[in-house]
This record gives sequence, C-alpha cells and structure tokens, in this order.
Amino acid sequence: MKKVKISLALFLFLVIGITCKPKQKEEPVDTALKKPDTLIMQSPEIPANTYSSVDISPMDMSYYPVDYPKIKMANAAVPPPVARVIYSRPQLQRRPLFNGIIKYNEHWRLGANEASEINFYKDVIIQRKKIKAGRYIIYGIPQEDSWTIILNSNIDSWGLKQDTTKDVGRFNIPVSTNGTSLEYFTMVFEKSETGANLVIAWADVVAKLPIAF
Amino acid sequence: MKKNIYLLAASLFISSALIAQTSLPSIDKSPLDVSYYPLRYPNLKAQDKITEPPAARVIYSRPKKEDRNIFGGLVEYGKLWRLGANEATEIEFYKPVLIGGKKIAKGRYTLYAIVNDKSWTFIVNKETDIWGSFKYNEAKDVVRVESPVQTLNEPVESLAITFEKDSNVINLVVAWENTKVALPISL
Repeated sequence: MKKVKISLALFLFLVIGITCKPKQKEEPVDTALKKPDTLIMQSPEIPANTYSSVDISPMDMSYYPVDYPKIKMANAAVPPPVARVIYSRPQLQRRPLFNGIIKYNEHWRLGANEASEINFYKDVIIQRKKIKAGRYIIYGIPQEDSWTIILNSNIDSWGLKQDTTKDVGRFNIPVSTNGTSLEYFTMVFEKSETGANLVIAWADVVAKLPIAF
Repeated sequence: MKKNIYLLAASLFISSALIAQTSLPSIDKSPLDVSYYPLRYPNLKAQDKITEPPAARVIYSRPKKEDRNIFGGLVEYGKLWRLGANEATEIEFYKPVLIGGKKIAKGRYTLYAIVNDKSWTFIVNKETDIWGSFKYNEAKDVVRVESPVQTLNEPVESLAITFEKDSNVINLVVAWENTKVALPISL
C-alpha cells in the first residue's frame, strides 16, 4: 500500500513536472518593468526573427456568458455578451505564491505584462456600486483572508504601474482555499444568482468578485 | 488489488484533471497576444515615454508552425482564414482610420483573410466576439483590401501580427512561416 502511494506520488510529480515544463521564450521587456511574476527563460528553442516570440506568461481571455464566442458561432442571434476579461497567465514554477511571487498588502497586477483588463458590455453593479459599460483595468491588493479588487480607468497601461487617482471602485472580497493547486494564474466567469462571479484563482487560493446585472 | 488501486488512482487523477479543465481553463496551445500601435504602447506609458495616443491594437491567438507546411497547406489557398486561432482575431481602432480608401469608424472589428500564393485579401468585418471564421457573414464586411505577399528570409515559428510604420501609413503586418503581408492603414 505504501509502495502504491509512493509510486502514485512519483507519477503525479512526473506528470506535473512534464506538463509544466516551460517551452516559450520571453519577449524582451525593459528591465525596469520586470518583476518576479514573469520568469526569464534561457536557451530559446524558437529560431530568431524580427517578430516577437510567444510570451512566457501567455495572454488569455474569458467571456461571460462562458464561451460566448462559441455560443455566438452556434447562434448568431444571441444577445451581446456581458463581460470579458483579458489577462496574462504567469506560472508558479515551484515558487510560493504569497511572500514569494506576490506580497500581502501590496499592489498585485492580477496577471503579467499589459495590465489585465475587463470589459463590461453593459452597466453592471458590484457591491452596490454602479459600474458603467466600458473598458477598465483590474488589479488587486491581497491580504491573508480577503482581497481588495480595484477597477481603474487607466486602460492600455502596463501592469506594474497603477495610477490610483484613476480608481473607479474598490471592492473587498473574501478569499478561500481550493483543494487543488493551479499552476497558471486563472480568471474566468461563473454564473451566480445575481449575475456572474469573476473567479480569480492561482495556487490553492480562489477569490470571487460578484457582478450583478 | 494493487492493480485496482492503480486503476482507481489513475482514473481519479484523469477525471480530476478533466474537471479542472472544464471550470478553470488550462493554457491554450495557441496563446493569445496583443499588439498596439504605437508599438508596446502600455509599456511606453508606464515609462512616461508616450509621444502619441494609441491608434490601434490587435488581439489574436498565435498558432505555431511546428514543422507543418502553412501557406498552401494548413491554410488553403483561396479559402477564408481566421488569421489566428480560437476566438476571432480582433482589431480595435481608437479613432477613425482609412483602409483601402474607405473611412472606418473607431471601434472593434474582426479580421479575416483569403490567402493566395501571390496576394492576400484582408477582410475587416463588423461581427465581433465570435469564434474563428466558421460563421463568417459577408454582409457584415466593412472593407476588403488586396495586398501582395512578401517573402521573409528567416522563418517565423508562431504567427505574429504587429504594426510597422511606413511614412504616412501604418501597416498591420502578418508574418508566419516565410510569408509577410501588410495591410496599410492611414491615420
């Protein structure tokens, strides 16, 4: 039985090790704008060319309704989406998340590279505050048992530098631990009773920003 | 008994991985990326080095060549191509621009192309927030522009879309494999 456990642990370790093996090369970024949530990769496998290679913290997007573009593909008459988040996805790569990659009580860009952005296609309400339709950047301040999530109007900006004079709303949300550990930083929407939650998850922590509409 | 435990462990692992994938997505094989004009606008903004406001940005997924024959192979000549992967490739103009002599209002659009050996036809279409080119609707076209194919000496592994300034116009440049094609945009 013990042997089984050990070999299972070894198997999982190997699988995780293989699947997490970094393959991409990082786009050159000014050193002043580097931070430990983006790693620098050595020995690029991709032949050099004048066009940028793939980011080590690749970008991704999530819609609400979930998978909206696919829904629209199946039915062109579907009403417009409610929200979309575009963000970069750094990886843990065996580093501790808190007091490793990010620190409590400090600004956290909720991503990497360009500031993470959230687009509301119609007016929404977050914790009783009306948020007008439009594009915002989103960042956070994590504490041990709650996170502050901030919407800011300084769009098309870089994630590491926030202009707090352009904050549109600050929302305190609880944070909980998840059974599993997520290698990649993740933001997705899920349906809720009052609208949708923006689910923010990395390592074994999850926080949900409630959005009503 | 041992075998059963192995099987159970393996199936639990696989099913938990599947569950994790449905609710929380893993990394895309063709990752998303963004390019701005001016190039690296957000990065410049953080360094207070901006000289002009943003004019355009493109958001697209980046499939890899991976030893495949791309143009005339994976991307068939004469057929509509989504210029990316996953969600349709999106271009946003921050102000009105001219493409192919036509005034394009500021806003978000979807980009497609019909690829041929010597030239491509770029298509700017008004249907946004859609997946790929599978439900392309010609009635929503805003403009079509034909551009010649240029050859690159060094191959490009991951599809790249960026902007290059050329005197009075900016070119939206698409580069992959040994091919480069430019869509001129007048600001």
